[in-house]
Amino acid sequence: MSAKSFILKTLLAFTISLFLTGCSNDKPAFPDEPGYKPTPYEIEIPYAFPTKLNIPNDNPMTEEGVALGRFLFYDGRLSGRTHPDSLMSCSTCHIQENNFEPGIDHPVFEGGFVHGLTGQQTHHVVLPLVNLVWNHSGYGWNGGIYKNNDNPNFRTIEDFVRIAVMASDEMDGDTNQVKALFQSLDGYPELFYKAFGSQQITFNNIEKAIAQFVRTFVSAEAKIDRYLRGEEQLSQPELNGFILFTTEEGADCFHCHGGFGNPLFTTHLFYNNGKDTVFDDLADRFAITGDIMDKGVYKAPTLRNISLGGPYMHDGRFETLDEVIDFYSHHLQVSEQVDPLMHHLLRGGVQLTPNEKADLKAFISTLHDENFLKNPAYSKPKKFPDEP
Amino acid sequence: MKNLFWIGVILSMLVIPGCKKTEEATAFGDFSLKVKHEVEGEALKTDALIYTNAAGNRYMVTEIQWFISDIQLIKEDGEALGITQNVDENIFYIDTDIEETHTINSSYPIPSGNYSGIHFTFGLDKEANKSHRFVNPPESFMFWPEYLGGGYHYMKLNGKWINETGAIEPFNFHLGIGQEYDEGGKSGYDLFEFGDRGHYQHCDGYMPPQKLNSVTAFIHNNFSLKLPLNFTIKTGEPVEIDLIMNIEKWFYGYKVYDHDVWGGAIMQQQEAMDIACRNGVEAFSLRSEK
Repeated sequence: MSAKSFILKTLLAFTISLFLTGCSNDKPAFPDEPGYKPTPYEIEIPYAFPTKLNIPNDNPMTEEGVALGRFLFYDGRLSGRTHPDSLMSCSTCHIQENNFEPGIDHPVFEGGFVHGLTGQQTHHVVLPLVNLVWNHSGYGWNGGIYKNNDNPNFRTIEDFVRIAVMASDEMDGDTNQVKALFQSLDGYPELFYKAFGSQQITFNNIEKAIAQFVRTFVSAEAKIDRYLRGEEQLSQPELNGFILFTTEEGADCFHCHGGFGNPLFTTHLFYNNGKDTVFDDLADRFAITGDIMDKGVYKAPTLRNISLGGPYMHDGRFETLDEVIDFYSHHLQVSEQVDPLMHHLLRGGVQLTPNEKADLKAFISTLHDENFLKNPAYSKPKKFPDEP
Repeated sequence: MKNLFWIGVILSMLVIPGCKKTEEATAFGDFSLKVKHEVEGEALKTDALIYTNAAGNRYMVTEIQWFISDIQLIKEDGEALGITQNVDENIFYIDTDIEETHTINSSYPIPSGNYSGIHFTFGLDKEANKSHRFVNPPESFMFWPEYLGGGYHYMKLNGKWINETGAIEPFNFHLGIGQEYDEGGKSGYDLFEFGDRGHYQHCDGYMPPQKLNSVTAFIHNNFSLKLPLNFTIKTGEPVEIDLIMNIEKWFYGYKVYDHDVWGGAIMQQQEAMDIACRNGVEAFSLRSEK
């Protein structure tokens, strides 16, 4: 071998080794088992929606993870039990056709107030599961589950799954029992392999799969969306209502509930909206921040599909939207903690006339998204993996 | 030998300008603006009913959220250098509740030399103030409704004051695009309905116009300032300049602004926003520790 040939061969070998090293870095996100290769799930960003998504780095969305999460979301054995009286899943309270809320006319949860398997009622009423992938400021009425929480067990939707399974006012379950049960069910271990690269079911992967599924819930096809995209005109009453919604001298809903520039129809932030003068709820925003000005402060929920959202407010004190509009019109209560955005406070509210209330309600009806409520991708699977 | 001579000449022609260029390229420094919110020379204390404005209103501030844009450093010779290389990125959101928004860094090394001041726009100018420019929060939460002109709030300064009856009342000192309304026309409502509902009477003799009538004109209330301050940018010596918003100055200067007159909400009161913005040109100052 000549010196020139030796140098060329050495360079070639070096190049190949560099190439191979490069290839070896190109591993799948879940390296557990050979041949495992999930398909990334892409969330399409609707018109004018935020581009920043709240997806934890350790739970990237995949088609397989979402598909598994759909089964688990609807499977009553998530309670860790199989007796018909002890079945409970996320979908027991989060019902798609009711905007993933129980609905005020629920056959079991009277008035829309839910209780767990033990019969204990939840502390607050259920919030909808809508566009949560864009929620960066905390889950729950007081935002107690949030990204930068010092307690790493209270940060994500994944954590909410565990809390729901364990809570005595929800499933009152045992996570070890739950994972053991699903491990024993035909079909599930294979789905866990496809989603996470291992047939060994962990509760952590149960949380992850359900969270992935919930993050796919996107409402962006209501009449208001078509109007904002220039595809469909609102009626005159709806337009009047939109003006009221987005003006300070009207109903001034937009500062907390969005509009053209914030089509989530919520800021996901927290406000004292003037409901009370005495604050004795131990689970308000004050419980999270310790700031005295956060007494009686709660999340402003999205108004998408809000006509299905009764009972309204954190404690479900109002049954109908008419009552809510009347409250903001005439019945605000003065306290030190009322948010400054409630600038109509001393007049008791925004003082809408009957016609204005009707127009505001007409506008709110444009936030009704039938496509979301009937989207088959979010619906109950026809059968579970262990069913023939 | 003759060839070597010419090679030497050519090499020196190549090298000498190169050296000069290298010397210029290293003459850069870092610059940042520290935004401070103050009342009467002291750092703002939020949620404290301890301030009194020029109209005698005792007031508190709960939060301030605002945009500053088109920040330029003015060289001694008058040349203006944008603080970002990309003009579209020269818009910054500032929030009293979000500490990291209080520092604005230049996005590229600033040429060394003597500078004589800083230019900026309060809010966004007409060209920049377009809806959906920001789709992500917190900037997107600053949107200004389309019916009122679109784009974004220049500023939300929220608080409460003790009104003329002695009650504590919320105020939203929100600035953005103003409107003129067709006082003779109507949009979706008959005028008698407003009679039933009653106008919001903010003080004796003052009635806001019909706020749901057709808008006939939009007024851009943003303003630009060039504040003088001598400073030098040198390599290895980062420069920090304080940009101070003197909150009390929003309420006097051009005219005294009285919360008892204008009430809790002014997004649809161009006259109030006009007074506020004319006062606002005196609400900013620069301070350098050096």
